Amino acid sequence: MRRKLKTPLWLARFVTFFAIIGPGLITASADNDAPGIATYSMAGSRYGYGFLWVIVAITIGEVVIQEMAARMGAVTGKGTADLIRERFGVKTTTFAMFCLLLANLGTTIAEFAGIAAAGELFGISRFITVPLAGLLITLLVLKGGYNKVEKVMLFLCLSALAYVATVFILKPDWGEIAKGALVPHLELSKGYILTILAVIGTTITPWGIFYLQASVADKGVDMDKYGHTKIDVGFGAGWGNIISAFIIITTAAALFTKGIVVSNATEAALALEPLAGSASRILFAVGLLGASLLAISVLPLATTYAMCEAFGFERGLNRPVKEAPAFYTTFSVITILSIFSILFVPSESLFQFMLYSQSLNGILLPILLVLVLILANSRTIMGRWTNKAFQNVLAIAMTVMIFGITVVLFAEPFLK
Amino acid sequence: MIYLSQLLNQPVWDAFGHKVGKVKDILVNGTEKNMPPLAALSLKNHIESVDFVDMSQVATLWPSITLKVDQTKLNPFAPKGHELYLNERVMDQQIVDIEGKRLVRVNDLQIGRKGDAFLLTGVDASANGLFRRLGLESFNRAIARIVKKEDKTQVIPWETVASIEHDDPLRLSVSQARLVQMPPADIAAILDDLDHHTSKALLQGFSDEQLADTLEEASTEVQLSVLSHMHPERAADILEEMDPDEAADLLGDMDDKSSEQLLNLMEDDDEEDVRQLLAYPEESAGGIMTTEFARIPDNYTVEAALNYLRSNEDALKDEFMFYVYILDEKERLKGVVSLRDLVTAPLGSPVSKWFDDDPAVVDPLVSQEETAYLVAKYDLMAIPVVDPDTNKMLGIVTVDDALDTVLPTAWKKKLPRFAAR
Repeated sequence: MRRKLKTPLWLARFVTFFAIIGPGLITASADNDAPGIATYSMAGSRYGYGFLWVIVAITIGEVVIQEMAARMGAVTGKGTADLIRERFGVKTTTFAMFCLLLANLGTTIAEFAGIAAAGELFGISRFITVPLAGLLITLLVLKGGYNKVEKVMLFLCLSALAYVATVFILKPDWGEIAKGALVPHLELSKGYILTILAVIGTTITPWGIFYLQASVADKGVDMDKYGHTKIDVGFGAGWGNIISAFIIITTAAALFTKGIVVSNATEAALALEPLAGSASRILFAVGLLGASLLAISVLPLATTYAMCEAFGFERGLNRPVKEAPAFYTTFSVITILSIFSILFVPSESLFQFMLYSQSLNGILLPILLVLVLILANSRTIMGRWTNKAFQNVLAIAMTVMIFGITVVLFAEPFLK
Repeated sequence: MIYLSQLLNQPVWDAFGHKVGKVKDILVNGTEKNMPPLAALSLKNHIESVDFVDMSQVATLWPSITLKVDQTKLNPFAPKGHELYLNERVMDQQIVDIEGKRLVRVNDLQIGRKGDAFLLTGVDASANGLFRRLGLESFNRAIARIVKKEDKTQVIPWETVASIEHDDPLRLSVSQARLVQMPPADIAAILDDLDHHTSKALLQGFSDEQLADTLEEASTEVQLSVLSHMHPERAADILEEMDPDEAADLLGDMDDKSSEQLLNLMEDDDEEDVRQLLAYPEESAGGIMTTEFARIPDNYTVEAALNYLRSNEDALKDEFMFYVYILDEKERLKGVVSLRDLVTAPLGSPVSKWFDDDPAVVDPLVSQEETAYLVAKYDLMAIPVVDPDTNKMLGIVTVDDALDTVLPTAWKKKLPRFAAR
């Protein structure tokens, strides 16, 4: 690196752009993971283009919330778990970390399920793909160092272009799409509300907040360089949700019109095949594989780091196993348990567990948002970089809405 | 011994058993002392006008908090502003364990009693502290009994911790004084784990030399973050203090404009050394060599040579001085003598009698692996780097720098957590 080669300006600009984008793009791209694709495919096949406005609205919410996390990282140089521990003490932290650990374990299992599904779309057994993916990612994360991991992840983000390709094979009606995206349309059915919550849950995730803040803090971004990070967050959220929209457009254009409802990525890919050709099956599998790998490289590591931050354990990667036992134990348990569950636990019990872990995510998200809002408004922590009024209005509205829906959903079984 | 978590929210009773309030926080004076005394209790839900209770009026803290006097006889206490609020400012924060050379989180604080005074004695950073805070101490003890592990609450004495609040100048300077007792490599490892604002604040108080030593061991991220936020004049002074090969590595990682500015601010001879090194690729012998080595002119006696070395600046800067190099007036390498041989030789004999006139040398453009191979093959502690065209000696590669590629560097320089540059 010492030798300096003269690079042309356009290339230099291009390189600078890719040096800036990173955490924001990765966080947003990982939202289109296996559960994400399932949710969007279902939404598109069930509600058609009329659901697209939800994606537009959520993009705004996502930018507001991710920006808070990124700003906290830049101002304090600390992770979310650090700040929660320092501001709210042991009990709140333990509760949050307990939820985070179980919720992320569930999500990691879902990601490995995504790998298994993508492999099976290509006709490869999960007993080959899942252990292979686990081994590959673990080696990459533990041996490669984070710089390499991030480059691989940015490359994986490109796999999402598969959905764009699918849409252009289908040639949908763009006028209808624009109408669906810009004109809000609300159905007051339980299924519709549940779908909105599912889309929020897959777009704004607790682990995403932890990951984004920690990576911004670790890049040593401070407030003079924060403009770049803002671009990263905005661009990432935009890109991630455009991809989400493309998945909805695909299933809406091909399946909604024919009245076919799908509930996961495999079903969507198989249902698309007779309508959009065998290319669509392969493209869906590529997108699914890329996003699942992406999420697997982030989730166990981000969870482990949050735990170590919160409880003051020695952090690993730079340390041998003997010096950081808690770090390596947590990391291995999450990864091995997930792989084991996918291969050997019957799918019904696994489905039950993932349902519970999603509920935990649902409980954790509004609580975490409240904590983040308190932190981002604290003068002692944020100095003059506290939330502006409009950020608070949007974030509080979002939190109240998620909280409301979650409470209703949890209370419903008892009201009958 | 009692812990802060066992006192917080506990009722405070006066001499007649009237409740005065509940403990909200505890204030400590003189945190630079080995065992700082508690100054006062800060109360909540308190009776009128008793926000604080002076520690001298507290009779017991355990099993219950009682006062020596009736609530009407309490002395007024007003904080002077330099007291440390234990719950607000220390609990749950990160702190440096100087003996353990690591960054820990404060799970609890230990309080002791000496005569009439209550003292802050140590920091509990163990899992036991966490369980105590969660009210699960007995559960934890039960587990310890089952797995037959001894109950070992590790309390780090207050005198061997450095708190790292960067907004209090007095406490920061105490912390700095304690931190510099640690070896630079350990300070650097802690800096890597700290957030960049705190590490910057801590380093402000270091001398140029201490800072240079620490930065040499730190990761590139920390080096760049520290130097880029410093006044360029000071940054240049620190680069002068660093080993030229380390300084060159660092400057090579900066953008052209900043590195050029810093180079121009450096003293001429240091600048020249570094510029020379910058010309070689990072992974070559030239890139890892240091230009500071012990040299003597040709035709010296042993006595003259030793006297020369004592006063020669280049020789004094040589970190290890395994060997002394004999150069002619055109700086061409004539021979090498180990310092051991030189010291044990008779004072009056000529150095030429003792030196090896055909030493193994390496070309500056040879790869780092090849250099390491040569060092190992000839059992050297350092190998001279010689320009193949002019035969001028440029510097030496020491064994530790040569072996850096062969050994995993990860143990030496930290991989960032989530950073990518």
